[in-house]
Amino acid sequence: MISQGDAALLITGHGSTVNPDSSAPSLAQAEAIRNRRIFREVVCSFWKEEPSLRDALLLFGDPEIREVYVVPNFISEGYFTQTVIPRELELEGSLTRRANGQLWKYCEPVGSHSAVTELLLARAAEIAPGVEEAETTLLIVGHGTALNDQSAVAAKRQVDKISALGRYASVQSAYMEEPPLIADWPRLTTTPNVVVVPFFISDGLHSYEDIPVLLGIEKEGAMAATRLRGVFRSNPHRLHGRALYYANAIGTAPQFADIILAQAENFERCTLDLGAPAQTVSS
Amino acid sequence: MRPPVERLLADWIASGTRGIGQIRITQSGGIFSLCHREDEGRSDLAVHRSPNDAIEIAKYTDAGEYRPLKTAPNLRRGWWLELPDVEALQRALDFFYPGRLAALAVWEANRLAPTPLRATLERQTGMYRVAAKIPDGGIDQLVGRFCRSQDGEPGCLRTIMWARDGTKARPSLRLPLDKYIAPVDQTGRGENVIPLLCQEACNLLVAEARKVVKSE
Repeated sequence: MISQGDAALLITGHGSTVNPDSSAPSLAQAEAIRNRRIFREVVCSFWKEEPSLRDALLLFGDPEIREVYVVPNFISEGYFTQTVIPRELELEGSLTRRANGQLWKYCEPVGSHSAVTELLLARAAEIAPGVEEAETTLLIVGHGTALNDQSAVAAKRQVDKISALGRYASVQSAYMEEPPLIADWPRLTTTPNVVVVPFFISDGLHSYEDIPVLLGIEKEGAMAATRLRGVFRSNPHRLHGRALYYANAIGTAPQFADIILAQAENFERCTLDLGAPAQTVSS
Repeated sequence: MRPPVERLLADWIASGTRGIGQIRITQSGGIFSLCHREDEGRSDLAVHRSPNDAIEIAKYTDAGEYRPLKTAPNLRRGWWLELPDVEALQRALDFFYPGRLAALAVWEANRLAPTPLRATLERQTGMYRVAAKIPDGGIDQLVGRFCRSQDGEPGCLRTIMWARDGTKARPSLRLPLDKYIAPVDQTGRGENVIPLLCQEACNLLVAEARKVVKSE
């Protein structure tokens, strides 16, 4: 159990230099968690926005704060959770003891939590109300990249878990940049209904424009952000003789605040199990 | 007991500071009121009362462009923010100028250890690793235009605390010496304002350094 009063929470996100919606879920979840008054301090830091991950090293100067839980608001393990965040925060494993005695606890990313499966199912049901699941394909869309396969692995894991429930006619993952490509959805699916949920933390150009263009529900080209956001409100899209339902990014669900908290609590359980040693750095 | 940053803020207010960055701070009857320094005296400002409103106010320029760098001198005008106490004031300023009060608190405690630009660049991995190849002359030009307090591209109101490298050389000789001196009001108005300290080059500058290297 997280001790009250002497613990702080640091939510780390990617952020963006061009898209203000990138950091919005992290900021909203931080506010929701702050209002629960579990932590002495709740702050966000970002790779591409302010406060930066480097700034985060200065954010917990309150001597009352003895522990800092670092929860990556990322959809999967990968380059950012394994390389960038530990490097920028000068973490030396799951536990890092600072020179002032403060203990930083590096938690699993939110996307790794088992409750994400429930949220995917809830989001799919929400955007396609009353649609018969036995006549529906659920497509979970990840980024996919040749550089790091982890995000594709995370999407596939969700596919396996939801498939095992036997609710949908078919559950598949598809990607923007690697096969199976989301652009091939008419060929990948055979059901009259297709529900597409982007497996991303936040809405941005991928969910506003790139995926809608690949799906064929929007034309390529610059569009006003307000117009782009409207893409989520015009379900179903009638294409190729099917009803296509398109959701916004899964990470925008307010329940992700609970998942952030759960990942902090999971840290305690995991380290108790493993008896992980604390490490000391000189900063 | 108040957390250190709240104490710092209360001390600065008590010392008669007139604001921070482009923001005027006034206090009356225990209420803190914030507005753009260029808007002082206007009576037609849109009134806000939550520290969280600072998120939206700070998000776009007057021209509606997104502001990825909150210390760029392009804060929009036309707003008035009333806050009930120092805690709310700190929360709002942490949205307007994220991380800057924390950096100032560490600096005032004589514990700020700025990171030389070369160390920041050499730490990069992935697509930014190449940024470390920028020559000293390239740094001089880049910092000289990118971090300039006024008329920069985009410009930044922070005071640079970091050196170019281990020699402690200033990163750019194209910037006035004032750019490196903490108490100076970087808007050029010469007022007593809370300084916005830069302890390490931001990711935007790292990305620009990469562009410089890639273009050569």
